[in-house]
Amino acid sequence: MQSQTVFVLLILLLVSCQKEKITIGTNVSETFYLDNAGASMRILVEGNTASHAFLVIVHGGPGEGSIVYDTDYITQHIENKYAVAFWDQRDAGASQGNSNGNNLNLPQMTDDLKKVIELIKYRYGQESSIFILGHSFGGLLTSSFMTTDQNQSMIKGWIMVDGSQNYPLNDTLTRQMLLRVGQEQIALNKHINDWNSIIDFCTAHTGNFTLAESNQLETNAEYAESYMDEVNQFNLITAMEAVSINDDLPLTSILFNYLYSENAGFNATLAKTQFSSLLYKIVTPTLLLYGKYDFICPKELGDEVISKISTTDKRMVISPVSGHNFMFQDPVLFCLEVDNFIEKYR
Amino acid sequence: MFLTFALIGFSQGESPGRLSDSLNLKASYNSSLIYPGARLGVEYSVKSFNVVKTKKSGKERNFDKERFVSANLGWYHHPYFHDNFYLAAGWTMRRTKSSGFFTEFSPEIGLSRTFLGGTTYKVNDNGTVSIKKFAGYYYALLSVGGGVGYDFSKIKHKPYMLFYKFNLLSMYPYNNTIYLRPAMEIGLIYKLSHFHISKPKA
Repeated sequence: MQSQTVFVLLILLLVSCQKEKITIGTNVSETFYLDNAGASMRILVEGNTASHAFLVIVHGGPGEGSIVYDTDYITQHIENKYAVAFWDQRDAGASQGNSNGNNLNLPQMTDDLKKVIELIKYRYGQESSIFILGHSFGGLLTSSFMTTDQNQSMIKGWIMVDGSQNYPLNDTLTRQMLLRVGQEQIALNKHINDWNSIIDFCTAHTGNFTLAESNQLETNAEYAESYMDEVNQFNLITAMEAVSINDDLPLTSILFNYLYSENAGFNATLAKTQFSSLLYKIVTPTLLLYGKYDFICPKELGDEVISKISTTDKRMVISPVSGHNFMFQDPVLFCLEVDNFIEKYR
Repeated sequence: MFLTFALIGFSQGESPGRLSDSLNLKASYNSSLIYPGARLGVEYSVKSFNVVKTKKSGKERNFDKERFVSANLGWYHHPYFHDNFYLAAGWTMRRTKSSGFFTEFSPEIGLSRTFLGGTTYKVNDNGTVSIKKFAGYYYALLSVGGGVGYDFSKIKHKPYMLFYKFNLLSMYPYNNTIYLRPAMEIGLIYKLSHFHISKPKA
């Protein structure tokens, strides 16, 4: 009798954890999963679902996870007006699965994003206004989404933050910026030895970069940003500590997913991927946010997007105190621009 | 079932000099840092002997060494991530001082089944959404753990032991890689039969 009671209690526990709960309110926090092609991807929706306006965060990496974007400032200045969907891509964050490595590729992730949007509309109403925000690698993923089939008709606006639509061009621009700023900084007697090391690498590697060279350029870009006095420095570890307990983060899942995705074979394919030639297809309102000192994804990438997309509803903003993490380094300007954009096009 | 297989395996290599025969029940609170859980198990003694060591000073140190096969059913609850149920068979090495304090180490192997911490949906290529019931994954599980405890049967002649144990669970394949999870147990071991016959071993 006792064992039957325990069994029933366990079943009730599982059923209650997976029972569908959809909340329309002004201060919502709820988690659900999308199961697609061997991955169960976690989606955390927070904020004002009653607004029926949703900002879907498409995180960087690949493999970094979305929860780090759930800062107090964004909670207070975005989630009070709209809902934010923090989507952990496959093999990232709290997303789970078995051996699904064959499905870790950009076309599959583009399909995942499409289904995330369909799922949000299913849960919160087909009339919901969806905006997608791609940061860093998320810029490449949202570029893929925006230029594939009729996907862009599902959303009201595209926001790219320190993102890249063209990895080969990205490498070229990073190298150019490192050389230019490096020489300026040496002339100012700042971090001379560090900059000389970066300049030596850039001088020795002039183009047609291998994946290893591309990775080294990115590493140099991270260092370069840290040498700039003008930048509001951002520490990822500190940011993770701030959210880890409150959001019940599975830290080891986040770590091992990141390590796997960062070194997965599909990064070699990504290094050759570009959507520049397809940007003309985009007719959806677009907001581009770049850091003046972003060496990883230089603002010239945004210049190309602005010049090639077909919509007239487009705006590009440069933060004078940011590097590669505009939303954390200049949160006031970030929230102001995102708020204005959503309000205008929702 | 795990225990049965384990017993069959270990009985073939059992030494003729086995000195004890006991079956213990274990129950513990199984916390993964701040997240709750529980663990139930049985352990069967397959080898037990008393060791007496003489120091240079002439003083004798006396302790028991025991080897158990065990079967455990564990569970932890990580909100919004998953609930994990795991069944594991293990080999426990325990060393108990005459005072009753003991240390132990145990590797385990088993099977894990997770249940995702939220409603799980499938969306087909036509955009039709459906709910996937009991969504989760099976993983192979390996665990190693070490702990300390006190055996109340040694001095107070009570048939139970208290223990604290740290376990490191690893599950595979978790998104093509592994998932590691620390877990801490605080629990009770009840000796169902404790007719311990010991023979000193020099």
